[in-house]
Amino acid sequence: MSGRRRGRQNHGRRCNPPLLLIALLALCLTMIAAPAWAKPGERIGPETLAQIFPGAERAGSMAGNPPAASVFKGGARLGYVFSTQDVVGSVGFSGKPIDILVGLTNAGVISGARLRSHNEPILVIGIPDLALRRYVDGFAKVDIHRPGQLREGEAFGALPDAISGATISSAVIGDSIIRAARTVARGRGLLKSTQAKLRLDRENYEPADWQELRADGSIVRLGLSRGAVEQAYRDRVAIPGAEFPGNRSPEELYTELYTGLITPPRVGQNLLGAQAFNRLLGKMGPDDQAILIAGNGLYSFKGTRYRRSGLFDRIQIVQGDKIIRLVKQHYHLFCGLQIAAEPQLREIGVFVIPADTGFDALTDWRLELLISRETKQGARVHLDFPLPYVLPAGYRIGQVSAATAEPPDQLDRVLAYMQRQLNEGEPALWLRNWRDRAGRITVLVGLLLILSAVLVFQDNLVRHQRLYRPVRLIYLTVTVVWIGWYAGAQLSVINVLTFAQSLLSGFRWEFFLLDPLIFILWSYVAVTLLFWGRGVFCGWLCPFGALQELLNEAARLLRIPQINVPFALHERLWPIKHIIFLGLFAVSLHSTILAIAGSEVEPFKTAISMHFIRHWPFVAYVGGLLFLGLFIERFFCRYLCPLGAALAIPARLRMFEWLKRRFQCGHECKVCAVRCTVQAIHPNGSINPNECIYCLACQANYYDDLTCPPLVAKRKRRQERTEKQAAYRAKASQ
Amino acid sequence: MKTGALPILTRRRFVTIAAAALVLPAGATARPRRFEWQGSALGARAKIVLYHPDPRAAQAAITACLAEISRLEDQFSLYRPGSALLQLNAAGQLAAPSHDMRRLLAQCRQYSDLSQGAFDPSVQPLWQLYAAHFANQPAAIGGPSLDAIRAVQQHIDYRRIAIGPAEIRLDPGMSLTLNGIAQGYITDRVADLLRNSGWSNVLLNLGEIRALPGRSWKVGLPDAGPTLVLSNSALATSAGAGSPFAGPAGPHHLLHPRTGRSARRYASVSVLAPTAAAADALSTAIYLSPPEGAAALLRQGGGRQAWLRRANGAVRHLTA
Repeated sequence: MSGRRRGRQNHGRRCNPPLLLIALLALCLTMIAAPAWAKPGERIGPETLAQIFPGAERAGSMAGNPPAASVFKGGARLGYVFSTQDVVGSVGFSGKPIDILVGLTNAGVISGARLRSHNEPILVIGIPDLALRRYVDGFAKVDIHRPGQLREGEAFGALPDAISGATISSAVIGDSIIRAARTVARGRGLLKSTQAKLRLDRENYEPADWQELRADGSIVRLGLSRGAVEQAYRDRVAIPGAEFPGNRSPEELYTELYTGLITPPRVGQNLLGAQAFNRLLGKMGPDDQAILIAGNGLYSFKGTRYRRSGLFDRIQIVQGDKIIRLVKQHYHLFCGLQIAAEPQLREIGVFVIPADTGFDALTDWRLELLISRETKQGARVHLDFPLPYVLPAGYRIGQVSAATAEPPDQLDRVLAYMQRQLNEGEPALWLRNWRDRAGRITVLVGLLLILSAVLVFQDNLVRHQRLYRPVRLIYLTVTVVWIGWYAGAQLSVINVLTFAQSLLSGFRWEFFLLDPLIFILWSYVAVTLLFWGRGVFCGWLCPFGALQELLNEAARLLRIPQINVPFALHERLWPIKHIIFLGLFAVSLHSTILAIAGSEVEPFKTAISMHFIRHWPFVAYVGGLLFLGLFIERFFCRYLCPLGAALAIPARLRMFEWLKRRFQCGHECKVCAVRCTVQAIHPNGSINPNECIYCLACQANYYDDLTCPPLVAKRKRRQERTEKQAAYRAKASQ
Repeated sequence: MKTGALPILTRRRFVTIAAAALVLPAGATARPRRFEWQGSALGARAKIVLYHPDPRAAQAAITACLAEISRLEDQFSLYRPGSALLQLNAAGQLAAPSHDMRRLLAQCRQYSDLSQGAFDPSVQPLWQLYAAHFANQPAAIGGPSLDAIRAVQQHIDYRRIAIGPAEIRLDPGMSLTLNGIAQGYITDRVADLLRNSGWSNVLLNLGEIRALPGRSWKVGLPDAGPTLVLSNSALATSAGAGSPFAGPAGPHHLLHPRTGRSARRYASVSVLAPTAAAADALSTAIYLSPPEGAAALLRQGGGRQAWLRRANGAVRHLTA
């Protein structure tokens, strides 16, 4: 960055005398040709018009307030032409006016701009007029709806770079063009409101409980422990002598605040009940809005002074550049809510915000809680704690399209939310998550206990073919349906990358404890990884793996031919997944967001977390993988899965070798190798632990005297012997 | 990591992003890019530098910042018609004051107490006296007469600003200026706004300079003084020559409430502090206070470092 800036300055210092002379000459000519500035009633000449408003045929005279001339083609008005001097009276560094003629289309886009006169010493001395003209020309196509000048290198924005060495004047020029254009646009009604087509949903009702309203952002929460408030005072109030009394128990809830727009019936009617909600609507004007403010804790958001003064002096609503104060007339007291699963709330208020405050329900706002404390020195110190509210997209009617429903800053919002959770707010969010999900946790632990039993008593299980097959199929079904689709507990390579990063940066338990199911699953996987290798997860607990295996099972039932990949090729396809994993890991060290995008290689999110409800390319990708899986069992696991690759690395450490092999395996018999779900058995009969998914199929074969050749031979010998004995006995008895 | 040229996510942020990604649909975005916004705010050139992968998010953040600045200018500006401060000055009282007005006035009061009245927002009648004097008699470089100064001084006393939760009151004849601290306060609020939306690696220059946690920035002091590395802190400068009434030798806007004259000791005072409001208020307070108290003022007011520049170029550097 600094390099580029330095470059630009050098460019500015370099002086080119011939060019400068030509420029000065050109400048003089333009100054002679151009009048001082536009007079009322003045008309724009056709040549000038063609320059600043291409496509226009004629211009009217300067008129109106602010003064501007309409521009026509045939009978249609294309836009306006005006002078910055007339509209905003721009003055340059020299204190003399700078005048620029500007064309503005009906759409609010600048069609062209031309310098008419200026008296800038810096411009006259150092900078070629050509450069100045190019700078002014560069404003063509600039959309005045974008405020300020935001630039990124070469990539962003249509505004030209400033003129080197003449920053003040060029800033004045830029500022006056944009400011004048906006003034004219406002005067002529050209400024478009981006949300003109949208409106608030005031009609649709569907039942929802408190948890649902909290989860989708209809109701937002601010939780402040005593410790968090103390910390904020220490961090944000710079005066070190300001000590605050009463720092007893930092975990104690100091204040808790809930808010949300309740005009949409899905929120209001569910919260208040139909009767009270309709009564409230009856008291409101058609464009008024109602919000809920409810709280708990030691510090009341209402205080007591509002009873006398009429003003709620501890809360204010901020929206854009507006501050909205809440007063007693707007306040409706509620003693309790009618909604299911509501938390205990000490104070509940509904505030009606009149339309004349300028409050816009479709725009983000924040509730600010003011906490005042007295220092030991007797000074009052106030601090604001914001609770931001973003209207959930569902309450906007007339959304453009579903494809754009993912706003670009959604990631940032979630991030901000999580960071707040972690840093300041709620003392033990993870603990609450665990409490809230006790039922799911119980089921998961039960499932894991069953799996542990399967692993510990694997020999006993696989001995009984009739038992092993159903157990496995049922377990896989539960994995897909319950762990995957219902509980959404699909582990992902992102967890691995996160974990690695957290080890590098400072590990925090709270972070990983946030999602109890994922945490329990990972703990279990970590232990089984050490005991039996990575297969326990891949073969039993991975919902997507289970889904593939079940689909392939169905495909075999339907007699879909299976492709047996030649081992030499198979072996050479293995590294793909390792390369994918290493690539993701490397990328993650540089850019998280890129690594997350890359981890879309995993179809888990589409198939499991989002139940296939996603943009079509993702669904097509997963569909393709599952289709391939019908012919090559667990195609994704075999060759592509970065998570499997990651887990294969520590699998070498495993302690138990419980998978039994016979001397004959690989030499005399390759049944297991052929039947292995993922072809993890080498032609020489050994099992590759990096590939094995511990499905126990080979162990079932191992004990099956109808399949395993040594056993078959043994059984036959025994049969022959018994037959011989029977024949002998029969002979003897004869 | 700290000095690298690339915009770098902190590790914790990585972990957060990665965890957030689990609950989000795909966000195929690239690494953060540098965006620089330039425009005018608070009546001066302003600049915001920030890093983000998505230009739309950067644009949205700038829009939010500008709204916040405009909202606070409506509160504190002496130049914006209808601002809350002008209402207060005109009527001597302001009903239903915003949180921001109460906060800022309470903050002013702390710095007034600390500086024993050298920093005083109620000095505005004196400034008006000077402005009127030079509008009528630009040649009388000495400024208004002592009698005239004594007459307005009876209306200067910050302790007579009554900051109530529902109303702010001034004694008759009083009027306030927040120019010694409002820029800093607004800078802090914009910084809070960005930080609460998850931004880091941001440099704000809205008259006073503040860096959000994250990268370090090189910031120069006035008159080619030393270059500082600013990181998660703020820098403010008060300079008398910034807005003189009459020529370089004449009186300027930094008027001492008790002498009634422009302070002449320093060319400029720069203060480095954790917040821009503190830096802003302290630079003014130190500028107007006797030099022997400067170190104590800096320490008690929460400043970290100060550079006191004399007119002859000599710089005294203080560290709290």
